[in-house]
Amino acid sequence: MSESSFPATLDRLDEMIAFILDFAERQGLNPGAAYKVRLAAEEVLVNIVKHAYPDGPGTIGIACAPAEGAAGIAIEIKDTGLPFNPLEKSDPDTALPMEERPIGGLGIFLVKKVMDDIGYVRDGDTNILRLVKHAS
Amino acid sequence: METTFATELKDGIARITLVGKLDATHAPALQEALKGLIGQPVDKIVFFARDLDYIASAGLRVIIFAKQQIGAGAQVYLVGAQAPVLDVVKMSGLDTFMTVQDAFDA
Repeated sequence: MSESSFPATLDRLDEMIAFILDFAERQGLNPGAAYKVRLAAEEVLVNIVKHAYPDGPGTIGIACAPAEGAAGIAIEIKDTGLPFNPLEKSDPDTALPMEERPIGGLGIFLVKKVMDDIGYVRDGDTNILRLVKHAS
Repeated sequence: METTFATELKDGIARITLVGKLDATHAPALQEALKGLIGQPVDKIVFFARDLDYIASAGLRVIIFAKQQIGAGAQVYLVGAQAPVLDVVKMSGLDTFMTVQDAFDA
């Protein structure tokens, strides 16, 4: 188990991702799985940085643990910003040509595509998103 | 690899060389660079991605931006993309609307 918290700012994004990837590597994730963890982590963290705290600075808590059952990583990402359940967002229409695409909505969709399991709970004033990626 | 983006426009072909990471941190710099192409005569938008290690949705959005703002009639090419990058492009469905190839000869 490895836990830390960071200011919810874009200039700390690389540090947050490195924190998660270090743990993922220790769980034996291959480069392909690690790439997917990086992608999901970035999408979730950027969303929080950009939208969770419209009124001022905020914090992001990250906890990494070995996945249950099979080898892998379970990542818990917490913020105390606006309630937001990414699983309720509808998927974008990937058949739309580029000139008709709305600019948003892709990030969460990619998270759903690349993770093996995603769970969300709102606990009091805290959004808790749990992401699981198996090693292979 | 250090992230750099280079753009060049010649004979209606916009060549954009992507190196490093096209993530939320770096995508705005590319978008700024591409703004210089708005209003220019562009028939082809060619992204050279051989040395691109990573792309996230922020990067995909810049590709969509390029198509929407630079030339709705322009053909978009993705050249030499590594498998993990190409996977993300495919997940988004954008590969259907661009020409994906290993090499580009104008």
